[in-house]
Amino acid sequence: MEFPKFLNSSLKLNIILIISFSISVNSFILFPSVNNAFYVLFHLTFIYLIFYHYHYYLYVVALVYGILFDILLLNYIGAHLITFLSLLIFFVLLKKYLIKLSYYQIIFIYFITLIVLLLFEQFLANIIYNYKFNVFLILNFFLISLIIFIPTIFLFNKLDK
Amino acid sequence: MAPKFQIKVFQLSRFLKNFTIISVISLSFLLVFFSKTDYYVIYGIKNISSSVVIPVTRFISAPINAFSNFVDEYNQFKSLKFENKILQEEIIRLKKWQTLAIQNSRENKVLKKLLNATDNNLILIKTASLINRNDTIYSKLINLNAGYEDKIKKNMSAINERGLVGKVIDTTAKNSRVILLTDPNLSISVKSISDGIFSLLTGNGDGKYLVSAFVKENKMPRLGDIVVTSGTAQIFPVDLLVGKVAKVEKNRFFVLPFVDFENIDYLQIVTSK
Repeated sequence: MEFPKFLNSSLKLNIILIISFSISVNSFILFPSVNNAFYVLFHLTFIYLIFYHYHYYLYVVALVYGILFDILLLNYIGAHLITFLSLLIFFVLLKKYLIKLSYYQIIFIYFITLIVLLLFEQFLANIIYNYKFNVFLILNFFLISLIIFIPTIFLFNKLDK
Repeated sequence: MAPKFQIKVFQLSRFLKNFTIISVISLSFLLVFFSKTDYYVIYGIKNISSSVVIPVTRFISAPINAFSNFVDEYNQFKSLKFENKILQEEIIRLKKWQTLAIQNSRENKVLKKLLNATDNNLILIKTASLINRNDTIYSKLINLNAGYEDKIKKNMSAINERGLVGKVIDTTAKNSRVILLTDPNLSISVKSISDGIFSLLTGNGDGKYLVSAFVKENKMPRLGDIVVTSGTAQIFPVDLLVGKVAKVEKNRFFVLPFVDFENIDYLQIVTSK
């Protein structure tokens, strides 16, 4: 009985991943913040999947989305792919410590991970392909993260029941 | 027999898990390396992403796209009367300019013949329409519905009726990607029409202005000067309209591009003769 339940919420989260990915790679001139919001939502969902539904299929998910994000947004493979895989590896290494944390501590770690992930992508794009560090974009991401973080956690908790 | 079977299953699952993880990590590092060296595998992946992934993502994001179009049309409808007035005034103004332009064009032809000057015309490769845009996050990129089958090559210039739009950075069989002038990672060498001041412009992060990254002999152009491509870097053809100087500071100046990057439907891919 447990397996279908796991599959169900995991599947829902993967559907959110596909939708948020699709919306974030198609720019809407009138609503540029929609792209940024769904980009942040993608990262939130991916971190949530790793934290609460870790499975080794996530390595393949990280590979596919990493390549696609890199090609569609940067035109070169690197920043997103390395970031997503690094997150997975770090999670495996730190899992034993994360289990001991309280609910609020995990939420805090979750938010910090999101911000670090978004910054690390920009940093890698800068290091590997000389993309200029865009302060406007970082501030936009930070603001959107602050706004959508709590509602998203609430939504994911509902999905997970 | 039963315990033996259980051990075998456990070992196979663990082997599969380790194999997946190791192969994914090594594959990703190989891809990053290939991407750096422009290996043909990357072209294959880019081809798949532009011919398969982009249509799928467009289909999924269609409701938001439809809503965006609806809001856009509503806004246009609201401002119809006001725009109509402006257009009527512009028609009168343009008619006056047209007569002047015809006279100038005749004069120009005669003078060119007298000077034995060669034309600096552009070769039109293809007029392509926009498929989708990825210009909000990271790079300012747009995708067009024409590729190397239409003789479009890397580094060709993309223009529209208002001036220079950007540069082709990638081509697949049926699609190509254009980096817009407003991208902070694209530099163009330009000169001001009135003073002939040479400088390098890059995108200013905000997606609206271009900012000078280098100005020859630190001479600043005047406010309102028109800026065109200088053709010195031999990437963009010479004398393509870029924009107008909108702000001048001590060590740098800002240019407002002529092209409205939010309203791009068709682009012409050109190269110099």
